[in-house]
Amino acid sequence: MQTPALPLNEQERLSALQLTGLLDTEPEQRFDRLTHLAKLALGTEIVLISLVDSERQWFKSKQGIDACETGRDISFCGHAILNEHIFEVPDASLDVRFSDNPLVIHAPFIRFYAGVPLTRSGLRIGTLCFIDSTPRLFSSKEREIATGFAKTVEQEIEDRLQEQAHQQLAASEQMYRSVLEGTRIGTWQWNVQTGDTIFNQRWAEIVGYTLEELAPISIETWLKLAHPADLDESGQLLQAHFAGHSPFYDFKCRMKHKDGHYVWVHDRGRVVSWTDDGKPLMMYGTHADITEQKQSEMALLQSRDQFKTLVANIPGITYRCKADEHWTMLFMSGHIDFISGYPASDFIDNAVRSYASVIHPDDCSSVEQEVAEAITNQTPWVLRYRILHANGSVRWAEERGAAEFDERGQVLYLDGFILDVSNEQKLQEQLVKLTQQLPGVVYQFQLWPDGQTAFPYASAGIEQIYGVKSEDVRTDASIAFSKIYPEDLAAVAQSIDDSRQQQKIWQHEYRVFKNDQSLKWLSGKATPELLPDGSTLWHGYIEDITQKKEYYLQLESLNQQLKVAQQCLDLASEQAKIGYWQASLKHGSLWWSPMIYQIFGFESDEIVPSVALFKSTVHPDDVAKVEQSEQQAKLTGIHNVVHRIIRPDGEVRWVHELAQLVPEDENPDLMLIGSVQDITERMKLQQVKDEFISTVSHELRTPLTSIYGALNLLQAGNLVQLPPKAEKLIGIASSNCQQLSRLINDLLDIEKLVAGKMLFEMKQVCISPVLKRAMNDHQPYADQLKIRLVLDLEPQLDCYQLQVDEHRLMQILTNLLSNAVKFSPSGGKVVLSAMHVGDEIEIAIQDQGPGIPEDFQHKIFQRFSQADASSAKMKGGTGLGLALCKELVEAMQGSIGFHSGAGAGARFYLRLPIAK
Amino acid sequence: MQLDKVLHVEDDESIRMIVEMALVDLSGFTLLACENGADAVAQVEQFEPDLILMDAMMPGMDGLQTLVKIRENPNCHNIPVVFMTARIQQAEKQQYFDAGAVAVIEKPFEATSLGDDLEAIYQRFIASSVAIAQD
Repeated sequence: MQTPALPLNEQERLSALQLTGLLDTEPEQRFDRLTHLAKLALGTEIVLISLVDSERQWFKSKQGIDACETGRDISFCGHAILNEHIFEVPDASLDVRFSDNPLVIHAPFIRFYAGVPLTRSGLRIGTLCFIDSTPRLFSSKEREIATGFAKTVEQEIEDRLQEQAHQQLAASEQMYRSVLEGTRIGTWQWNVQTGDTIFNQRWAEIVGYTLEELAPISIETWLKLAHPADLDESGQLLQAHFAGHSPFYDFKCRMKHKDGHYVWVHDRGRVVSWTDDGKPLMMYGTHADITEQKQSEMALLQSRDQFKTLVANIPGITYRCKADEHWTMLFMSGHIDFISGYPASDFIDNAVRSYASVIHPDDCSSVEQEVAEAITNQTPWVLRYRILHANGSVRWAEERGAAEFDERGQVLYLDGFILDVSNEQKLQEQLVKLTQQLPGVVYQFQLWPDGQTAFPYASAGIEQIYGVKSEDVRTDASIAFSKIYPEDLAAVAQSIDDSRQQQKIWQHEYRVFKNDQSLKWLSGKATPELLPDGSTLWHGYIEDITQKKEYYLQLESLNQQLKVAQQCLDLASEQAKIGYWQASLKHGSLWWSPMIYQIFGFESDEIVPSVALFKSTVHPDDVAKVEQSEQQAKLTGIHNVVHRIIRPDGEVRWVHELAQLVPEDENPDLMLIGSVQDITERMKLQQVKDEFISTVSHELRTPLTSIYGALNLLQAGNLVQLPPKAEKLIGIASSNCQQLSRLINDLLDIEKLVAGKMLFEMKQVCISPVLKRAMNDHQPYADQLKIRLVLDLEPQLDCYQLQVDEHRLMQILTNLLSNAVKFSPSGGKVVLSAMHVGDEIEIAIQDQGPGIPEDFQHKIFQRFSQADASSAKMKGGTGLGLALCKELVEAMQGSIGFHSGAGAGARFYLRLPIAK
Repeated sequence: MQLDKVLHVEDDESIRMIVEMALVDLSGFTLLACENGADAVAQVEQFEPDLILMDAMMPGMDGLQTLVKIRENPNCHNIPVVFMTARIQQAEKQQYFDAGAVAVIEKPFEATSLGDDLEAIYQRFIASSVAIAQD
């Protein structure tokens, strides 16, 4: 027997057979009907559709046999598939290849065999075979029929495969549809070229419609419902996908719901077919409602933002790190930037540096050790350490942290909070330094109910105060108490006890021994605080007041001296009727010594002195004078005025005020300190004197008038002819008479001026005519003495007017000019000039006389002063002229002065205010 | 019209004599001298002076009071009065002008020119009176 050979393409052939999916399947009518027909048509006992597997031949359809398969080695079909066309064996018993074949020797006792190969995809997978137990040979007609049936079987196999594939497709579509429905995802199909669009029902539901409501549906439907703001981006993504830059069109956008609100949708799709010229044609996609997802996403973002804001606003650093040896940082808030100078991102995952790297090297090991201990003990940690800032500075940090454990007790994370306490640390250091600077001791003193005492805290100053060190009294204060002067001890103890019982501030002064056994005075003040254990804790300060005490004692003694001085002053002021006072020109406040009340006629308990009250007492006619003096005081610092007051009982009294303004830099309130003296008696005497002078002057004038008149008539010569000697004598008498008359006039003027009775007619006066007139008036006198008078006026002088009494001004000019002429040498020159100087006009008279002797200069303006008696006699002066000029000028708010060098003549000038 | 009759009122006899010499001997006026105000009041109407020269300060009636009395007589309303007084201030002078004086002469006075001075005063007075009458 010959076993069939394997075809060259056996492996492919077997694959093709497998793909048919026919092996080991149930019999099928479509094949059985064919084999049955073939059996009838060709009249063979057996017809089979035999599929040649690797080790066997299996019958998909069989007629006239029960077996469903036989081994391939004994198969006839194994041979048949090696041929392209029908393979025939007329009598197997005679054929060496089959004569000993069990199928020949035994049932079914094959003698005739004809097999037409069944081909699929060009590979022969089996046969349609015809078998008889008697030898036979197909006619060519029969062969054609057999081949025809084989073709039909091949077609059935093909059809069957098609059907199966179709069924599978339908099943999978069904499955996908179910899946889609389950996901509530909408679908869409879009013909990019025509715009034709198909949505499923779900697509419509997502935006609140039914498909019918949306009809007619096109791409416009989508465009209409999409949020306008999202269209641009959608278009860009679409073009990117069309251009092949993205595998999918994937976009989350808002669509308007039927209700009017927007829903978030996630569209994802891709082009599935293209036109021949490469344009996108069909595009399929999904459309999912992600509103909830979007909302929760936004809620998450919001809460994350809140958390971030919250953390960012905590004035410290929050962190979470792994419990590994590098403390790998998982989270660290932004404030780390402030304390370290590095951004948080440097530390996250220890990307650039570890947190340990910014801890001061001196503190690093202790921090590590304490954290490790806390983790072991499962307790939180509180640490204070230094951080090296990026800028090189050192910051103090306080960290509070704790480890997070899982249920097995394994450390998950380390969480903590770091606070920048540099300022606090600095303050603390400053405080320590400050307390070191204090001259006394800052302390806490504690007293327990059993009497035990201690200074839990005492600054270094305790050494100066008690001569002990703070550590000596930290737990027991008795050494400090032993220093207290025994006589004071009981009072100290009592004061402490009072403070404790009433919980009021302790304040006490007492003495302690110094190391040299001398005593010093201490003053202490402390606030008590009752503690839960029943003890009392005082916080306070004790200082050495020995020096203060000494000062106090000195002050006491000075006060005593002051009192005595005061009494002397009071006594003196009473004797002299001088009161003293102090006034603030700024606030109007006034203080009076007792004498002033007496002068002004007030009772000290009746009134409160004030500047206003004082002013009300000033005689109305003197108010201006007093105010003027006050103004003067502001300029010169001296207030000096004599005025009248009217007492409450109506009595008028004269007072003299003399005061000094306290220098401005130490006197913001414009304080005026002064005295007031009752000079009424003196003034009365003065008045008597004035009246006397007035009367005497008047009485003198009457006889003078007669004498002058008589001499006048004698001199006239019309009445009487006199011998020459008599005429000369009468001339002398007449000139002396005139001199006497001038003297009386000047005297009266001076008295009037001094008594304030001189009346001035102040007017605006143009100065140059007055000066010219004064010149002209003196011209005859000057001619007589051969003196040249020169007038020198500033050209702009007529622009100004003076505020003066013209008559008095003329009187002054007359005085000065006649003096100048009188003292000039014959042939000399007198210059009368005027010019403006600031707010004033200066009128000057320069002569070429001998000048004013130096020893006389200081009293030239005093009454009855003349350089020497002989000159008076020679020149016929009254000695009152310049004194009168000065009084007159000053009464018109002007000033008078002179320059003189011996032999260089004299220059007298007066300055008078320009009228405003 | 020339000044002729002058009534002089003066308590001081020396001055009365000086004035008499000046006015009568030097100037040739007709003079009536009274030693007090009362005399002057009594004699003024009868004398009918062209001008009265009156001392201001006199015992009894002073110059101003005398003037008031004289003016009480309707026939004496228009007689010009010149006061003679010790040197006084401008403001004090005003009261004499206010009372009707036409001039004030200060003592001591220039005796030699007194007549001329009074004549000048009188002429000014006449001129102003004519002017007033013409108005």
